[in-house]
Amino acid sequence: MLTFFLLAAVMVLGALGVITLRQPVHAALALVGTLLTLAVTYVTLQAHFLAAIQVIVYAGAIMVLFLFVIMLLNVEGDEGTVRLAWVRPAAYLTGVVAAAGVALTAFLDARQLPDAQVITAALAGGGAGALGGVLFNQFVLAFQLVGVLLLTGIVGAVSLVERSAREKGDEEVFGEPERELTRV
Amino acid sequence: MFDASVPTEYYVALSALIFALGAVGVLTRKSAIMVFLSVELMLNAANLALVAFARGWAAAGTEIALSGQVAVFIILAVAAAEVAVGLGILVAIFRYRHSTDVDNLSGVRL
Repeated sequence: MLTFFLLAAVMVLGALGVITLRQPVHAALALVGTLLTLAVTYVTLQAHFLAAIQVIVYAGAIMVLFLFVIMLLNVEGDEGTVRLAWVRPAAYLTGVVAAAGVALTAFLDARQLPDAQVITAALAGGGAGALGGVLFNQFVLAFQLVGVLLLTGIVGAVSLVERSAREKGDEEVFGEPERELTRV
Repeated sequence: MFDASVPTEYYVALSALIFALGAVGVLTRKSAIMVFLSVELMLNAANLALVAFARGWAAAGTEIALSGQVAVFIILAVAAAEVAVGLGILVAIFRYRHSTDVDNLSGVRL
């Protein structure tokens, strides 16, 4: 129980950091903290494979991509005021109402957890083998669709880069670093 | 490490809180990158609830219980694709406008 509340405190602090910190890099690092805490929470929930994937894919690959883009674009911690003044209080009110509503529903519909032995037997430690067995039997269609989605994503990303490269003219885009070097 | 003393509703409440914080971030932040980070927060909140439900439904057998964890796995793959394309679009918009302020992006709509 203590573990849960410690992890929950760190997670909420990280989430608050994401939505309040002005510097994008700081906010991204706060999100990394939240994601790593989430990975530890997965371990306490017997989802070991997902914990590993969370660290490798989320805290590793996706956040590196975010930090890369933040540094590439050199985004300032500008922020400033939202154009519509009532948006901010309305957003916080919506958030409080939604969170309280879902939490209240969860506590009103509370179920008894099965015994620890039953959980351990059913989840099989959340290992890659157990997960793969379910994924390749019940979720084959979803698995195939994810494959198509990833292919679409690759094609989309490449076409985005390719088009902006053609607008500038290939010579200019690919010749720029060399010229920088010679000038220095 | 395995903790069987925390009921599922605690995890759902925490997940709801994180999701609400992410939603507030999406509504209040101005930079498109910060909006993206908040969306990641919301996706992860949903993942936490799914993993907690997977444990809560352990009595229904391995296949049903692990469905929750498989859903999280699929969401992870979708999130990775979404981030790759989304950040690509962001970089393209930044090259064109020299800003990622979402208030100035009304020209992106159809």
